[in-house]
Amino acid sequence: MEHTVAHEEHSGGGVKEIVRVTVILSILTAVELALGFWMMGMPLDSGLRLAVKGAIIILMMAKAFYIVAYFMHLKHELKNMIMTIVVPLALFIWFIIAFLYDGNSFRHLRNTYDPHFKEQSTIKVEKKEEAKHEESKEEKKEEAKPEERKTVE
Amino acid sequence: MSNEAVLHAHSGVATHEVHGDHHHEHHHHETFITKYVFSQDHKMIAKQFLITGMVWAVIGGLMSVLFRLQLGYPESTFPWLEDLLGKWAKGGRITPEAYYALVTTHGTVLVFFVLTAGLSGTFANFLIPLQVGARDMASPFLNMLSYWFFFLASVVMLSSIFVETGPFSGGWTAYPPLSALGAASPGSKTGMDLWIISMALFVVSSLLGGLNYIATILNMRTKGMSMTRMPLTIWALFFTAVLGVLSFPVLFSGFILLIFDRNFGTSFYLSDIFIAGQGALPNEGGSAILYQHLFWFLGHPEVYIILLPAMGMVSEILSVNSRKPIFGYMAMVGSLFAIAILAFLVWAHHMFVTGLNPFLGSIFVLLTLLIAVPSAIKVFNWLTTLWRGNIRFTPGMMFAIGFVSLFISGGLTGIWLGNSALDIHLHDTYFVIAHFHIVMGVASMFGMFAGIYHWFPKMYGRYLNNTLGYVHFWVTMIGAYLIFWPMHYEGLAGMPRRYYDYSSWESFKQFIELNRFISTVAMIVFAVQLLFLFNFFYSIFKGRKVKTQNPWGSNTLEWTTPIRPGHGNWPGEIPEVHRWAYDYGKDGKEFIPQTTPVGADESHH
Amino acid sequence: MSTATATPGKLWGGGKSPFNVEYGKLMMWYFLMSDAFTFGAFLISYGTVRFSTNGWPDPNEVFRSYPFAPEGAHAPLVFVSIMTFILIISSVTMVLAVHAGHNMDKKKVVVNLILTILGGLAFLGCQAWEWNHLHSEGAWWGHNPFLNHDGTAASTNFTNFFFTITGFHGFHVFSGVIINIIMLIMTLRDVFEKRGHYLMIEKAGLYWHFVDLVWVFVFTCFYLI
Repeated sequence: MEHTVAHEEHSGGGVKEIVRVTVILSILTAVELALGFWMMGMPLDSGLRLAVKGAIIILMMAKAFYIVAYFMHLKHELKNMIMTIVVPLALFIWFIIAFLYDGNSFRHLRNTYDPHFKEQSTIKVEKKEEAKHEESKEEKKEEAKPEERKTVE
Repeated sequence: MSNEAVLHAHSGVATHEVHGDHHHEHHHHETFITKYVFSQDHKMIAKQFLITGMVWAVIGGLMSVLFRLQLGYPESTFPWLEDLLGKWAKGGRITPEAYYALVTTHGTVLVFFVLTAGLSGTFANFLIPLQVGARDMASPFLNMLSYWFFFLASVVMLSSIFVETGPFSGGWTAYPPLSALGAASPGSKTGMDLWIISMALFVVSSLLGGLNYIATILNMRTKGMSMTRMPLTIWALFFTAVLGVLSFPVLFSGFILLIFDRNFGTSFYLSDIFIAGQGALPNEGGSAILYQHLFWFLGHPEVYIILLPAMGMVSEILSVNSRKPIFGYMAMVGSLFAIAILAFLVWAHHMFVTGLNPFLGSIFVLLTLLIAVPSAIKVFNWLTTLWRGNIRFTPGMMFAIGFVSLFISGGLTGIWLGNSALDIHLHDTYFVIAHFHIVMGVASMFGMFAGIYHWFPKMYGRYLNNTLGYVHFWVTMIGAYLIFWPMHYEGLAGMPRRYYDYSSWESFKQFIELNRFISTVAMIVFAVQLLFLFNFFYSIFKGRKVKTQNPWGSNTLEWTTPIRPGHGNWPGEIPEVHRWAYDYGKDGKEFIPQTTPVGADESHH
Repeated sequence: MSTATATPGKLWGGGKSPFNVEYGKLMMWYFLMSDAFTFGAFLISYGTVRFSTNGWPDPNEVFRSYPFAPEGAHAPLVFVSIMTFILIISSVTMVLAVHAGHNMDKKKVVVNLILTILGGLAFLGCQAWEWNHLHSEGAWWGHNPFLNHDGTAASTNFTNFFFTITGFHGFHVFSGVIINIIMLIMTLRDVFEKRGHYLMIEKAGLYWHFVDLVWVFVFTCFYLI
């Protein structure tokens, strides 16, 4: 029937393109993983660590682009349709900025006006392994009676 | 050519290829169930939405009468209240718990069930296929599901009123911890569970509906119906659907996190909580503000989900009944678009006093005040459409003009509230109540009434009674202002909302007479709505019959269908569109329907 | 969509679809857009809470094991990269199925759909193992045995968000597998051959790719940064 003809023009580069995108996605993922491993050794608040995180986010966006554009064929649709899908996604920009900015501000508020909150985040739990062990034991006890979650600690 | 191929291939799918090419509606035998209950005809689904919405409007309105009774007569007892509410009005006086439950349910029901489902559910379903020239929605089946999900949501919400601990009573916004902790209040127990379930079903319903509306408007338009030839109703309903599709999921996510907080010991929204008699809550580290962000990310677009359909219908009705083209069609579309975008950028203006970062707040102020621009464009265009028009004051037209009046009065106070500095004083006072009831509540109700009066002949083939219509309009119009205008003064004086009894405050005691006045008017206005309902149901069966196909002399496509259109809308071919919808008073002709081809010597509009 | 409505081909006579697609695909796209907002809201909430908290657990300390690993194994990112690749490959097979559908190649459609379903099941299996493993370490909704990066006590929100979001994603994978199984059955029963087109597979494919897309974000947000 006719529609197969109609879709011929949609399908873009065919199997060749699929293989190419698969390779690209794999490489991007591999780079992400490499960055992830590299990041492990860095100190927590180093600028480099932040930069690597930024790089990972850019790679993530690149992967998303390849999946949407080629696997989901969006790139081969009409321009108007692409716009109707991409433009609303721009709302995420302010969505993310406002939420995260306010989250960050909430942390500052608590650190400034809630001494208990601030103090708690400086007390290190001693003897890591044992603490973990005990905690998980406690957890199991609590799990047995989940309705007790509101009891006094 | 390829489009046609795909579309045809599809319509083959739609009919399951069983019915082949013959014209379906003449052969199919419809039973009572398929015609009136599980109907897939968009017109019947619209009527189902409308009547369910009306039932909810009566319930929600009655609730407001009950709590206005408490506010107007805090010292009095009414024995009949105990008969009606039982233990919730012991001794004839509404208990504080019942008061909060009434306020909460009133808000939820009117915002979501009446003004979202009842308004855009009704008119999107009814008008979209008729005005774009389609036989039905893109997917009539999903459309039917959309109604039945709404119906289920209604049943669950209704049942929550009858549980022993009462319905949810923490405000329609359901902020945690009131909504997250069963121990917080009686209504936070089973009532809240049912509230969440009901709202989740409602989200599903509105998503199914919204996707259908968008797909229909984009894909099912008749030949010649380009986007810029669409009536403004369709544009408004289109943006409404887009708003719903993009914002309801966020509310849904917020609800899922809330469900986990309620039932599975998480603390997304919980932190630093101490429950009397139980001690400190182990749930730590969450943020209650997060819920408010998520809620208002829906909540603000929701305001426009409610308002835009009314705006669209009012634009259409004003133009038809002024016998003049709508002033600034493209500006109207542009301002709808601008409002739709801004709706997503301003949510935190509901949260200025929650501890929101003040710098962030200032950006939200800026974005909020920007909404005044497209709103003003719309208002001026409505007024200039009326200007020197040959106005026919039908009841529908009266309500449309009333809408413009209310939108101006309510919109102006929005400029006050949008300022974070002023909001410190005005937040959670009666000023806010007055603002949003006028601009979103009553104005949208007026849009809905305008739509009902205007399209009733198309829905039922009969007219509503005009005299009752005028009584309905004038009492509601004057009543609305008498109810909400004084609330501005109360709010400026600092009178907080959601209080059960103001008599123990020296500063608010002075308003007792005013409150009593407001309550009295509210009851009168409610009674007149019952008059409207009588008019509605009486006219369905006994109203004056519509004799001509196009009683209002309107250009749009729905008036080219038979007086009582069957399933499929047009008995023959779907009409082709040759012009925009607003050729009124052009070249000496009173109106030129969209189906009339453009003449050779016609002037440009 | 068994709609016996009056939209018979002959009398349709309407205009053309502006985007050259039939309405079902359009609706699937817009549904996915709205679903993107659901996931977006989850992930942004996660970010917001993380930004409003002083410390956060180190994912490399949490996700460091794999099936049949020796006790106390420290192999961060290994297992999750396997999961990621499984999902990417299943996405590739799905594209191939859609592509074969365009060419009306039933045999290839069937083979690729089966591979996609297997990929989906493998991913779900991996996720089940990981959940089970974390649960055995004491992690669950409302329970977080892991310490912050700097050795201070962490709030439970790390596990709360992890289980909620990966659970919601897993639910999507699960429904995707169900949809694909339905597609497979329909293909085997020649439904699409009779219809003359494989457009349904294309819509199922969109959904499946979306699931993969979401994982790209979940993977980055929870395991990498």
